[in-house]
Amino acid sequence: MELIAKGIDISIGKKEIVKNISILVKKQQFVGLIGPNGCGKSTLLKSIYKSLVPQKGMVFLDDIDVLKSSEKKISQRLGVVGQFNEMSFDLSVQQMVMLGRTPHKKMLESDNKEDFVIVEEALKRTNLLDYKHRGFLSLSGGEKQRVILARTIAQQPKIMVLDEPTNHLDIRYQLEILSCVKNLNIGVLAALHDLEMAAHYCDYLYAIKDGEVYAHGTPDEVLTPATIEALYQIKCQTYTNPVTNGLGFAYGI
Amino acid sequence: MNEKDLSKIGMGKRYYVFIFLLIGIILLSAVYSVSIGQVNIPFTQSMDIVLHALTNGRIGSLDHVQSESYLNIILQVRMPRVIFALLIGIGLALCGTVMQAVVQNPLADPYILGISSGASLGATFAILVGFGSSAFLSQFGVAFGAFLGAMITSMAVLILSSIGGKATSVKLVLSGVVIGALCSSFASLIIYFANNAEGIKTVTFWSMGSLASASWDKTPILAIVVLLGAALFLFQHRVLNTMLLGDESAITLGINLSAFRKFYMIVTALVTGTMVAYSGMIGFVGLIIPHITRGIFGADHKRLMLGTLLLGGLFMIWADILSRTLIHNVELPIGIITSVIGSPLFIYMIVKRGYNFGG
Repeated sequence: MELIAKGIDISIGKKEIVKNISILVKKQQFVGLIGPNGCGKSTLLKSIYKSLVPQKGMVFLDDIDVLKSSEKKISQRLGVVGQFNEMSFDLSVQQMVMLGRTPHKKMLESDNKEDFVIVEEALKRTNLLDYKHRGFLSLSGGEKQRVILARTIAQQPKIMVLDEPTNHLDIRYQLEILSCVKNLNIGVLAALHDLEMAAHYCDYLYAIKDGEVYAHGTPDEVLTPATIEALYQIKCQTYTNPVTNGLGFAYGI
Repeated sequence: MNEKDLSKIGMGKRYYVFIFLLIGIILLSAVYSVSIGQVNIPFTQSMDIVLHALTNGRIGSLDHVQSESYLNIILQVRMPRVIFALLIGIGLALCGTVMQAVVQNPLADPYILGISSGASLGATFAILVGFGSSAFLSQFGVAFGAFLGAMITSMAVLILSSIGGKATSVKLVLSGVVIGALCSSFASLIIYFANNAEGIKTVTFWSMGSLASASWDKTPILAIVVLLGAALFLFQHRVLNTMLLGDESAITLGINLSAFRKFYMIVTALVTGTMVAYSGMIGFVGLIIPHITRGIFGADHKRLMLGTLLLGGLFMIWADILSRTLIHNVELPIGIITSVIGSPLFIYMIVKRGYNFGG
C-alpha cells in the first residue's frame, strides 16, 4: 500500500504550521521525517491519520481518499504509534493490545480465537509475552511504548505512522522498537529526532523546516552538513562511523 | 505493587462463578429485605411468598404462611420497594461507569457533570413554584421537573463543552461544574424567597433521597428506562474501552469519540433524570460502585459492566435495609446511608497503596 499526501496546508489560529507539504511513502518503504522541534512534523502526521483536518491538500492510501473516508476504514489500513499514552484507568497489557483489533470488529462482535492468536503474535514480536497480565500503568515508559507498538501491530496495518516513537527511551528500547518496525516489512512514516537512527533505518528522508520540505532524498543525500546546519542552526560535520560503517555526526554550536 | 497481576477474576470461569454468586446473593438479600420491617415476617415464609408470586404458584406454597396480611405487606408494599432499590442501584452504577469513561475521569458521576444539580433545580422549582394548575403537571410535578432539569442541564453541559471545537473530557468536566454550581445557586435562590415551610421541608426530604414513594404503578417506567439503558451499554464495551485511551488514540482505532460522547451523555441524562424523579438525590453510588467493581474485575468494560450493575443493585438493596432497620421505627433517608457508607470507602480506596483507578 502506498501513502500519498499532496499539498497539505494546515493553519492553527492565524499561524500557518504546515505549508504545502507533499510526501510519498512507497510500498514497504521506511520514510523518515526530520526537523527541529515545532517545525510541523507532528501536525502533518495528525492530518494524515485524521486527527486534524488540513485546510488544503489531499491524502490517499492507494486509491482511498483518507480525508473523505470513515475513521474505521482508515484504521483498518493505517496504524499509529503516537506520543500520547496517558490513561486514568488501568488495563492489562493483553487487554490493551486487544484494543488493536477494534477496527476489524463490528460493534457486537466478540473477540475470537484468531484475535487472541494475533495478539499473542504481536506480544511475541515486541518481547512482551511475560508482561501479558501486568497492569499497563505499572510499566516503565519504554515498556508502555512497546505495548502501544504491539497494539498497532495487532491492528495489522499496511502502513504505520510513528510520531517520535523513541522519545525519552534509552538506547536499547530505541533500537528494539525501530528494528521491530523495520522487520514488519510494511510502509512506515516516522518522525524521528535521532539523525543516526534516521540514517540507519530510513530508506528515504524528508527534512522539514518552518512547515516546508527543506530537502528530501536518500539519507546520504539529505544528511549533509549544509542541510543539518540549516535545519537546526548548529555546526555539524558528518563522517563514516568506523565501527558501524554508518553515517556519524559531530555537532557543535 | 509493581508486579500486580491483573488477570484476577476478570478472566475465564471465575468471572461467571462470581456473576452467578452475585445474582444469588441479590435474590437472597431481596427476600431478606421483604421479610423485615415493622412487621417481621419469617424468612422461609417470605421466600415462599416471593417464589409463589414470581413463578405464578408453580414453586413455593402458601400453606405455611401464618397470616393473610403477610401476603399483602410483601406483595403490595415491600416488593415494589426492593425492586425500586435494585433498579435505582443498577441505574446509578450504570450512569457512574459510563460517565467515568466519557470524561476519562474516575471521579465522574451524575453530580460532577451537573446533571443531578439540574434535576434538583427542576424538582425544587416544581415543589416551591409549580408548573401551574394543569392536572397532569401537578400530579407528576416533581418527577417532571427533575426530569426536565436533568435533560436541560445535560444539553447545556454538552453545548458549553462543544464551544470552539470538539467536546473533550476536560471541557465536559469544567462545563459540568459550572452549570452544576449555577443550578445549585438558583435552587438556593428559590428556597430563599419561598414563603412555604411545608414546601421547603419537602425539598429537603427529597434532596436526601428516599425510596418511600415506591409502588407498582411507578415501576414500569423506571424499569423500562433503566433496563434499556443497561442493555444498551452492556454491548458498548468496545467504544467504552477505547474511550479510556483518549480522543487521539481512539481515532487511530477507527472510533470518533465526540459523537459517542454526546449520545452517551443523552442516554445517561435520561436515566439519571428518571431516577432522580422517582427517588430524589442518592449520592456516591455512581461513584463508588464502579471503583469497587474495577478492583474486582479490572477496567475492561466487557467484564466490568455486568458486574457493576449487579453490585450497584445489591448495594442499594442493603442500603435500603439499613435505612429501615438502623433506628427502630424510623426510616432514614437512603441518601444519608449511601453517603455515610460511600465516603469512607472512597477515602480508603484512595489511601490504599497501589490502587490506581483500574485494578
